[in-house]
Amino acid sequence: MTRNDVLAAPVTAPPGTRTDRPRRTPATALVTWVRRGGPHHLVFLLPTLVIFGVFSWYPIVRSVVMSFQKTNLAAPPRWVGWHNFVFVLHDPLLGTAVRNTLWFALLALIIGYPVPLVAAVVMSEVRRAKGLYSALAYLPVVVPPVVSVLLWRVFYDASPTGVFNTILGWVGLGPFPWLQDQTWAMPSLVLAATWSGAGGTVIIYLAALLSVPPELYDAAEVDGAGIWRKVWHVTMPQLRGVLFITLILQIIATAQVFLEPYLFTGGGPANATVTVLLLIYRYAFQNSLGGNYGAATALSLMLAVVLALFSLLYFRLTKSWSQ
Amino acid sequence: MAAIAQTADRTAVSASDWRRPGVRWGLGSAHVVLLVLLVVVGLGPLLLLAKFAVTPTQDILRTPMAVFPHGIAWSNLDQAWNDVQISHYFLNTVWVAAGSWASQLLVATTGGYVLSVLRPAYGKVVEALVLATMFIPTVVLLVPLYLTVLHPPLLRTSLINSFWAVWLPAGASAFNVLLVRRFFDSLPREVFEAARVDGAGPYRLFWSVVLPMSRPILGVVSVFAVIASWKDFLWPLLVLRDPSIQPLSVRLPSIAGTTDQGVFLAALAIATLIPIVMFLLFQRLFLSGVGLGGAVKG
Amino acid sequence: MKSTYRAAAFGLAGAMALSLTACSSGGNASTGASSDGKVTLSVVSLLPGSEQAAIDAFNAQVKQFEAANPNITIKPVEYEWQAPTFAAQLAGGTLPDVFEIPFTDAKTLIANGQLANMDKQFHTLPYAGKFNPAILDSGKGSDGKVYAIPAKNVYGVGLHYNRKLFESAGLDPDKPPTTWDQVAQDAKKIADANPGVAGYMQMSQNGTGGWQLTVQTYARGGRIQEVSKDGKATSTLDDPATVEALQWLQKMRWNDNSLGSNYLLDWGTMNQAFASGKVAMYTSGSDVYTSMIQSNGLDPAIYGLAALPLEGSDAGVLTGGTLAAVPAGVSTAVKNAAIKWIDFFYTGKLVDKDRAVADAQTLVKDKQPVGTPVLPMFDKAQYEQNQEWIKQYINVPLDHMKSYTDTMFELPLVGEPSRHTQEIYALMDPVVQAVLTNKNADIEKLLKDANTQAQNLLDQD
Repeated sequence: MTRNDVLAAPVTAPPGTRTDRPRRTPATALVTWVRRGGPHHLVFLLPTLVIFGVFSWYPIVRSVVMSFQKTNLAAPPRWVGWHNFVFVLHDPLLGTAVRNTLWFALLALIIGYPVPLVAAVVMSEVRRAKGLYSALAYLPVVVPPVVSVLLWRVFYDASPTGVFNTILGWVGLGPFPWLQDQTWAMPSLVLAATWSGAGGTVIIYLAALLSVPPELYDAAEVDGAGIWRKVWHVTMPQLRGVLFITLILQIIATAQVFLEPYLFTGGGPANATVTVLLLIYRYAFQNSLGGNYGAATALSLMLAVVLALFSLLYFRLTKSWSQ
Repeated sequence: MAAIAQTADRTAVSASDWRRPGVRWGLGSAHVVLLVLLVVVGLGPLLLLAKFAVTPTQDILRTPMAVFPHGIAWSNLDQAWNDVQISHYFLNTVWVAAGSWASQLLVATTGGYVLSVLRPAYGKVVEALVLATMFIPTVVLLVPLYLTVLHPPLLRTSLINSFWAVWLPAGASAFNVLLVRRFFDSLPREVFEAARVDGAGPYRLFWSVVLPMSRPILGVVSVFAVIASWKDFLWPLLVLRDPSIQPLSVRLPSIAGTTDQGVFLAALAIATLIPIVMFLLFQRLFLSGVGLGGAVKG
Repeated sequence: MKSTYRAAAFGLAGAMALSLTACSSGGNASTGASSDGKVTLSVVSLLPGSEQAAIDAFNAQVKQFEAANPNITIKPVEYEWQAPTFAAQLAGGTLPDVFEIPFTDAKTLIANGQLANMDKQFHTLPYAGKFNPAILDSGKGSDGKVYAIPAKNVYGVGLHYNRKLFESAGLDPDKPPTTWDQVAQDAKKIADANPGVAGYMQMSQNGTGGWQLTVQTYARGGRIQEVSKDGKATSTLDDPATVEALQWLQKMRWNDNSLGSNYLLDWGTMNQAFASGKVAMYTSGSDVYTSMIQSNGLDPAIYGLAALPLEGSDAGVLTGGTLAAVPAGVSTAVKNAAIKWIDFFYTGKLVDKDRAVADAQTLVKDKQPVGTPVLPMFDKAQYEQNQEWIKQYINVPLDHMKSYTDTMFELPLVGEPSRHTQEIYALMDPVVQAVLTNKNADIEKLLKDANTQAQNLLDQD
C-alpha cells in the first residue's frame, strides 16, 4: 500500500506555518501545538491510549515485573530474582508440556497442512457451484470452538456404542480408545482441531491460487507443459509465500493450544496432553490455595520470546508479500 | 468478452485441457469425490448434532447412529431453551459480543483516524507501540491482565463479574487499528482537504466524511469482532464467574456434567445456529480471504 | 459548529467513563449492607445445571428465611467447589458471602488471612458448645478462634452401586460385595453381561484421582502422608497399600476389562455416568445421593449404597466434610447475616425439632431427598434424635443403603492428609490415569516419582 507523499503533511496544519516558523520556546511550541489542533488529536487518541495502556501495555510490563516476584495476592509481592524461572525449568512437567506441544504442532502440520492445500487446488478447478464447495469447507470454522469440542467429545465416546466407534464398526474397525489412551489422545485432539480450522486455510489458499498470474500458465503451455507440470512448476512456486505464511501462523497458533486439551482431556490421560499453555493455566489458577503467578508469568515470557520470533518473521513476510 | 473473463482468472487447467476426455473424467470425478467428502466431513457432524438434539438420551448412548428407534424427542429443545435457560445465556453472549464490537470499533476508528489522518508528531511512537503488541502472544497477558481487571487502576472496584471485563480488553486489538489505519490511508486526501476548506474541524471530518467513506472496512472489523467474541472462551471463563452473566461458551462446559445428554446436545445445537445463520448471510465476506489477517489474532 | 462536535466527543468519553464506574460499583453494591440496615447476602445455592424441582425447593427455603429476617435479602449463587478455580474466585472476590470449602483447605486459608473471623458470631449459636470438637477444630485458626463453621454433615466414603445392573448379571442387589476381590468379581460379571457398561470405575480427573486413591489406600491399611510429632511431614505415596490398590485396578482394567471405556472422570462426570447407567459401582462420599437427585435425575429405585470394604490392620474409611466460610474483609453486618443463614440453612435443623420438620417438609414438597445418610457433626445421640424427628418425611431408599447405615458408626474413620492436600492429590491423578490407560504402566516407578514431587512440596514449609 503506497502512500501519497504530497498529502503526507498534517491536514490540520494551517498553511503558512512552515515559512514563518517562530523561535522555539516551550511557550510558543505549546501555542503552536494548540493552534494545530493538538488537543483534538489527543481526544481522538484517548480511547486508544486508555484501552491499550490499561489492557495491553501495562499488563505486558507487569508480566515482566511479576516474573521476578512472588505474590499470592494476599501479602505484598516479594522480589525473588530468577527463582520463578528456575522453578519452571526444574518442573518435571515442563519437558512433558513442551514435548506435547511440539507433538501437537507436528501432528497439526501433518494432518492439517497438506489436506487444505490439495482440497484448494482441486477446488480451484471447479467450474460450477464453486461457492458451494467453499461454503461446505468453511462451515466447521463457523461453529464456536467450545461447541465443536463438546460435540466431538460425544463423538469420541470410547465405548463400542460411541459415535465414531459405531461408524467404524460398520467396516469392521475398532473400537478405538480415542481420548482414553495416552497414544491416541493427542491425535484425536489434533483431528478435532483440524476439523475446526482447516476451512479457513482452504479459503486462504483459494484466494492465493486465483491470484496466480495467468500468463505463467500460458507460458508453460507454450512450452508444452501438462497439468501436473503446471501445478508443480507454476502453481506451487507461486504459492510458496502464502504456504510459508500459513505455516508460521499455524505454528504460532498451535504453540498456544489450550481449549482442546483443557476441555477434551484436562491434560490427561497421565499428562499425555498437557501443553505449555495448560501448564501456565495450572500454575496460575489450579491450586485451590493460591496461584503461583510468578511461575505462570515466567513461563509465559519464555514462550513469548519464542513466538515473537515467529511473529516477526510473519510480519516481514506479509509486508514483502503484499508489496 | 467471455474469453477475456476466462483468461483473467484462469487456473492451472486450461480450457483445452478440459476438452481432453482423460482430464474431464479425472478432474470431474475428483470434484465429485471432493464434494462428497466435504458434505460428509463439513456437514456430517453438524447434521449429527441436529439429529442428537432431538434424540432421546438413551438412544444417543446406546445406538447413536440408528434413525430414531424410539421416536423423536422434541422435548430436548424445549428443555434446553427453558430449563437449561439457553435463551438467557444466549442473550449474555449477544451482550458480550455487542459490547466487544462497540469497544473495538471505537478504538480502531479513532486510533486509525489519528494515525492516518491527523498524524500528530508523536503518532509514530503510538503506532510503534500498538504494532509492538502484535508480537506479544496473548498468553503473556493472561495473568497480569487478570490481575489488572481484578484491581483496575483508578477504579476502586474490581471489574470481575461485569461485562466491562470482557468489553474493554477486547478493544485493545492492534490488528483492528492497523487495518482501519491502512484503509484510511487509501482514502483520497483531496476529499479531506475540501472538507477542511469548507470549515470542517477534526470532529466533523471524522464523523461526516471519514466514517461514511469507511463502511466496507467497518463491516469487516464488525463481523470479525462479533465472531471472535462468540468464539472466546478462556478470558470470559476467568473473569465472568457469576453464572447469570456467562456467555454460552463458558456456560456450556460447566453444565456438561449435570445435564441430561440429549438436552445438552440440543443446547449445543441452539448455540451453533446463530453463527451459521450469520455465515450464510455474510458468506461472501467470510470466503473472501479477509480472515487471513484475522487469523493471526488467534 | 466545531464546539458542538467537541462537546459530543467529550460527552462520549465522559459517558463511557461514567457508566464504567456506575456499572462496576453497581456490581459491588449488589451484596453488602446499606445505610438503612438492610443487608444483601449472597449464598451458595446448587450446582450449575440443577433440576428445576431442586431449584424450586431452594427458592422456597430462601423465602422462608427472608420472611423470618426481613432485613436480609438473599442472593443465591450457583457454586461447585473445584480445586482448579477456587483460588481465582477467592482472589477475584467472586465467591458468595457464604461459601463452602473442604475441611482440608481451611487451615491454610485462615493462615493466609483470607477467611473472616466468625468466632463472635459462631458463639451466638445456642448449640455452639455441642459440636464434635474434632470436627470444629478443622475450622479453627492457630489463635483458637472459629473462622469456618462445619456446615453439612460429614461424609464417609461408601460404595455406590446400581441395583438394576446387579440383577442383570444375576447378582443379589441386597448383598453388595464386602471385599475388594468381590468388587472385582462382581464388576466383571456386570461388565460381561452388559457390554459398554463399566462394572466398577474410579475417578481420575481434577484431583479426584488422588482423593479416591487415598480412599483405596486407607481401606487397605495404608496412609499417604505421615506427620511426626515435631511437625515434619513425610510423603508416603509409595505405601504398599497404594501399590496394591493400583495393582487391583490394573487387573480389573487389563485382565478383566471390567472398567468400561471412559477413564477420565471427575466427581461430576462420574455421578452423571452412574446416574445414566454407564457405571455400576464406584466409591464416593455417602452424601452424593442428594446431588445425583438434584443434578443428574437419578432413579432412586436403582440406587444402592454399601459400606466400604476394609482390609488389613489399621484400615479406615476416609472422611471429609464441608465448612461454611465468609471471605475476609466483609462488614460485621454481613457476618451477622451470614451466621443467621448458616444457622438456618446448614446447622440449626440438625438440633431443633421444629426446624428439622419444617425443612424436611419444604424439601419433600418438591420431591427433594430427605434423610441421605451422613456422619454426625454433633454426637451420635443428636443424630439419631434428628432422624427420629424427620422419620415420616424420609424419602431416600434407606433400605437400599442398609449395608452402609448398619456399620457407619462402627467403621474406623481417617481424615484426609493435612498438608498440601489438593496439590498432592493433583500429583496422584496422572498415576491413576496411567494405570487406566497404559497396559505397561510401572506402578512402583510412577508412585516413586510422584512421591519425590510430593516430598518437595512438603519440604517447602
